[in-house]
Amino acid sequence: MKRGLGLAVVLLLSAAVESSSTSPPGTPVLLGCRSPEKETFTCWWKPGSDGGLPTTHRLFYERERLKGIHECPDYGSAGSNSCFFNKKHTSIWVDYYLRVVASNALGNTSSDILDVDVMEIVKPYPPENITLLVKEQEGTPYLHIRWEPPLNIDTKSGWVTVKYQLRVKQDNSHQWKNYSSDTQTFLNLHSIVLGAMYMVQVRCMLDHGSWSEWSNTTSVPVPKYFPNERPFWILVSTLSVVPFLAAICILVMKRKSVKQCLLPPVPGPKIKGVDVQLLKSGRSEEVISALIANQNLPPLVAWMDQVEEFLIVSDCNDWRSPDPTNPPKRKKSLIIPVGFHFDQDLLCKEPLPNHWEKKDEIVKNSETHSEGSLPSTDLNQEQQRDHCGEASDRGVSTWTAERHQCAANVSVQPFAISGYVDIQRHMQEAEGTQVDYSRVKEVTGNDAVILEKENVQSQREDEDIPEDYSRVEEVDGDNVVFLQTQDGSCKKKDEHHTDCTNLKMIHPHPSKVGVCAALMGSEYVDTTPAFPAS
Amino acid sequence: MAYRGTNGSSLFITVLYVVAACRAIPINDLLDRASQRSDKLHSLSTMLTQELDTHFPPIGRMIMPRPAMCHTSSLQTPIDKDQALRVSESDLLSLARSLLQAWSDPLLVLSNSANTLPHPAQSSISNKVQQLQEHSKTLGDGLEILSGKMGPAAQAISYLPYRGGTDLGQDKITKLINFYFLVSCFRRDSHKIDSFLKVLRCRAAKMQPEMC
Repeated sequence: MKRGLGLAVVLLLSAAVESSSTSPPGTPVLLGCRSPEKETFTCWWKPGSDGGLPTTHRLFYERERLKGIHECPDYGSAGSNSCFFNKKHTSIWVDYYLRVVASNALGNTSSDILDVDVMEIVKPYPPENITLLVKEQEGTPYLHIRWEPPLNIDTKSGWVTVKYQLRVKQDNSHQWKNYSSDTQTFLNLHSIVLGAMYMVQVRCMLDHGSWSEWSNTTSVPVPKYFPNERPFWILVSTLSVVPFLAAICILVMKRKSVKQCLLPPVPGPKIKGVDVQLLKSGRSEEVISALIANQNLPPLVAWMDQVEEFLIVSDCNDWRSPDPTNPPKRKKSLIIPVGFHFDQDLLCKEPLPNHWEKKDEIVKNSETHSEGSLPSTDLNQEQQRDHCGEASDRGVSTWTAERHQCAANVSVQPFAISGYVDIQRHMQEAEGTQVDYSRVKEVTGNDAVILEKENVQSQREDEDIPEDYSRVEEVDGDNVVFLQTQDGSCKKKDEHHTDCTNLKMIHPHPSKVGVCAALMGSEYVDTTPAFPAS
Repeated sequence: MAYRGTNGSSLFITVLYVVAACRAIPINDLLDRASQRSDKLHSLSTMLTQELDTHFPPIGRMIMPRPAMCHTSSLQTPIDKDQALRVSESDLLSLARSLLQAWSDPLLVLSNSANTLPHPAQSSISNKVQQLQEHSKTLGDGLEILSGKMGPAAQAISYLPYRGGTDLGQDKITKLINFYFLVSCFRRDSHKIDSFLKVLRCRAAKMQPEMC
């Protein structure tokens, strides 16, 4: 009995000792599963206590659309306490019901069932081969970050869509800056700080699943001084500026010739015979004279010829108060154009028959002012002549004053009244009534008379037409007188006569219109031909 | 944002119609646009799920129906990459269209339920559901045009009726759980649609690896 009791106590004690060191395994815990590429997945568990005995763990699963209970196909590839499902055993869009059973000698313990759909456990590995480069664009540096998709990812069939995310920070700061990159495997980061050290991490995601872990940090230092291309461009611009400046200098120095080339001077006006300098001097008289001298004018001589033909000078008394009782006096009618210049020398030259030879003297009478030189047949005439000569001596202006003195013998018909003056010469006391006059051939207009041109045959032998007189042949208009030229047939009355030459007006003075106008009013006429009035 | 979405979707449809009527836009382009739309759709559904997760009672996961209970689970679709790559383009498109078509009614139910959802993020959830509806409609119209270019097999749609009724539940928990369940079903289907279209896009753009 005592032996039995002792044995029982020993057995109880040994049983107690045995039961405290061994037990069935504790409950394992399924930690989770992960599919890195949507083609395989791995599950891990944490085993419970092993109960002091060698415990084995087995994973069993059931799957949607698959009958039966299946065991993990691969326990070792993914490490201990893991189960790796390869491609053949992985299905997506179906639920896996997983449990782990820990078993030892004393029993089995099963974990909770884990419900897994591969779709939900997709979590890729981090991207691979992250490279950082400091590149340069237009003188400014930027960070070029490049990476590759994680391993095992199928990017060729479109089965998965990978999206990336980066974060960057400088080594001296704690703040990360996140950047998203959709599907491209690089990123350019601009506006980086020179001289800083940049650290970069990248992660990725498949099909809106879970993000991967951040990759290892890759860092790159940014150099303080960035060797850019500026010196090159500075050199290029300097080299191009130098020839540019040289061209400018040459242009400035030769600006005159350049100006000549680009802006050729406009040729000034050229008038024949006009001197530009003369014009610039501003003396109009010289300019006008130069202009006039240069013109090709019809020879004055010819014109003079024409004009000479038509001048008749007659005595003024006959016009003013024809007195039949008076013996016919010498009439002096002057019909000259307005343009005629009153020549004092010729005025009041009363030709006396015995003074033919004294033509020159008469002409010069004004100059010499000698009365004695003039032979006088008639005191009156002489007196007249003297008066006239005196008068003629003094010029135009004084002639007016003397006009009245000469008026007795000189009749000047104002043009305004009659339009012409008939110059006639005849002896005052000539018994002969022969006078030198022209016959009126035709009357034209109000105040014009066309005279006959006739060979003057003076009946008075002692009278001849003085050489310095002209007969008016025709009056044209208000102020034009056509003079008759001598035919050239003269009778020499005596040896004193000089040759009868064609009377010509021998005083080609330029006319002055003003003077002519004065003449008009003062009844003086100048036989000197000048320019035609019109 | 919803308004912009409407404008965007109607514009998308208009463009597609005009393009289909007037001249041929290359299928690559159409598929690219469809893929972008489906990507957006899946993104929205994922966000919606995450938002619901923030305040979901743990017990809810316990009593939640299984995903096999989704009304679209009867449709046989590829369930891994190899299978998916073996399916023809027309079939892929047909599957995508069938799935999308199956959700037009349930999304309406969701939209109605979202207004009175007992959840702290109810307004945001309701907004997202509305966007889901719009994107879904636009994508459906676009895929219809696309199917016209890909042959008769692409135009066959499997009918997957929703028999859940218009009411998600009487009490808050039931409502919430049913709501969550529908959203999770939709998330799976939106992922399928997105994956199929992206596979199609990559296959159609053989000369453009950046499309894959």
